[in-house]
Amino acid sequence: MVYRMSDNSQKKSVLSVVLGLPSAVWTSVFRNDLPHTDLGRSRTSFTNFFLHIHPVKVHKHTLRPWFTMGLGLISLFLFLTLTVTGVLLMFYYVPSTTQAYDRMLDLRGSVAFGVFLRNMHRWSAHGMVAVVFLHMCRVFFTGSYKKPREFNWVIGVLLFLLTLFLSFTGYLLPWDQLAFWAITVGTAIAGYAPVFGNEIRFLLLGDTTVGQEALLRFYVLHVAVLPLITTLLIAVHFWRIRKDGGMSRPAEADIVETNEAAPTTIANVPAMAFAGSDGINVIEKKRYGIQGMVRGPFTKVGNVPDNSVFSYPNLLLAELFVFILTILGVLLVSFFFNAPLEDPVNILHPPNPAKAPWYFLGLQEMVSYSAFWGGVGIPGLEVLILLALPYFDRGQKGIGVWFSRERLLANTLFMTFVFVNILLIIIGTFFRGQNWEFVSPF
Amino acid sequence: MSEHNDLHHTTESSEPISRRKVLAWLTSMGILGSAIVTVFSNLVFIKPRATYGQPMRFSIGTPDEYPPGTRIALGNQKVAVIREGNKMAAISITCTHLGCIVGVADTGFACPCHGSRFDQDGNVTGGPAPKPLPWFELSMAPNGELEIDKGKEITAGKWFTV
Repeated sequence: MVYRMSDNSQKKSVLSVVLGLPSAVWTSVFRNDLPHTDLGRSRTSFTNFFLHIHPVKVHKHTLRPWFTMGLGLISLFLFLTLTVTGVLLMFYYVPSTTQAYDRMLDLRGSVAFGVFLRNMHRWSAHGMVAVVFLHMCRVFFTGSYKKPREFNWVIGVLLFLLTLFLSFTGYLLPWDQLAFWAITVGTAIAGYAPVFGNEIRFLLLGDTTVGQEALLRFYVLHVAVLPLITTLLIAVHFWRIRKDGGMSRPAEADIVETNEAAPTTIANVPAMAFAGSDGINVIEKKRYGIQGMVRGPFTKVGNVPDNSVFSYPNLLLAELFVFILTILGVLLVSFFFNAPLEDPVNILHPPNPAKAPWYFLGLQEMVSYSAFWGGVGIPGLEVLILLALPYFDRGQKGIGVWFSRERLLANTLFMTFVFVNILLIIIGTFFRGQNWEFVSPF
Repeated sequence: MSEHNDLHHTTESSEPISRRKVLAWLTSMGILGSAIVTVFSNLVFIKPRATYGQPMRFSIGTPDEYPPGTRIALGNQKVAVIREGNKMAAISITCTHLGCIVGVADTGFACPCHGSRFDQDGNVTGGPAPKPLPWFELSMAPNGELEIDKGKEITAGKWFTV
């Protein structure tokens, strides 16, 4: 009897353990149920590794679709797409001059979804170059690179250069005519760099000409070195967004709508607010804001703007929406357009005209006038100016507003810079024919 | 005072230099030095000591294989062999602009990449090329075969007579 009873109770507990398993596993992973209260939303954001990258609360101004246009997010999602498709393509690729091109052909014939994955990878790469550039334009035209976000702008410029270099190193890997001559020209441009030009070129190629050594080096740079550096800088970039006070926004956006009596400066906040009689009110207002919303570089308790909403679900839904749009775009383009693959490398016969990828055609156009100034001098100066820009343009007006009238000069100059580069790319793409002679596309 | 170290007495400065400061300075320099050595040795590592490409000096066969009037490009060697009468020359076909291979025609050389043009002797006649195409030393080996040495550039117009 005794034995039976214990057997019975054991059975019951096993059953309850089995039945309770889903919720036990859920709790062990997520700690909280799906949140229905503000406290729950706050806890969910804190306890989830992937969600804690976000602030608990996000400013309403940040969520305006036409302020950021989601360009930074699109860049990230394209980078993730490139990582996944890139890793898959690595299963079939061999960085050898005798095999690389055949492997490209194999993707067509003997690999399921081979062409489609290559399309996705190629078009995402083109897209990422374009979107990262547009993201930079957005940050400039909204004055978002100004103090305290100067350093994040610098990180962003470095990320743009890494994007270009990632794209460039990937370009050689199919070992077709386009790849070979684009890299021949590109590394020759590096050779024009002052003092160490030829050394840099030799280190890049591992030889005096583009060959097996260069293919192996570009492969290692493309699949390991550059993605690692890029990932690290993306992490810093995102971390700094929050540490620099979230997205930029105009001062008007911080006027507190909900609480007219809210303190506007930290001096107005009673030191003992949390213990005082009117402290109850403060706690009511700020409970989830303390770590969530940061205005300056540091958290200021009691001085938190309240024009904010919970990241869960507001920001997450916005991100999901941008993610779906990005993936949908990549899938559609990859479905309808095949990534180009030219003839296998023929060292004696450069295609005529031999053109670099479109984003380097502006550079190639400049290089056709002067190799040093077009390939090293002017681009080098452009990068230096971009890097130094936030440290010289120190005015604090017009931050967080598109095309602010108070920044007319800066915006005009940058717009000129953008248009000149686009114009050079258009000339290089459509108006240059055989022997790089001027032709009319019409 | 025991808390002051010996350096205090040997220095002229009014600020006493503490042992802690000196050690911190030495440690920083040590770490910085190690970092520089690390970066430098990594650069040395990725710079190959030998390459696997074409040798600089190579044979191109006997003069009979190049009848008078020949203007032919040797792809792997990246050199054009030219014969006019019994005069011969070896001219580079790597564009001096950005390293594309120039096309060889009777009228001269043309680069498809950025439109540089050269006359029959490799002198620049148009486009962005900064220098003429170099001529390489051509010589006769004892076995009767012609040899080109791409390591030795000679003045343009210095023909080799066969």
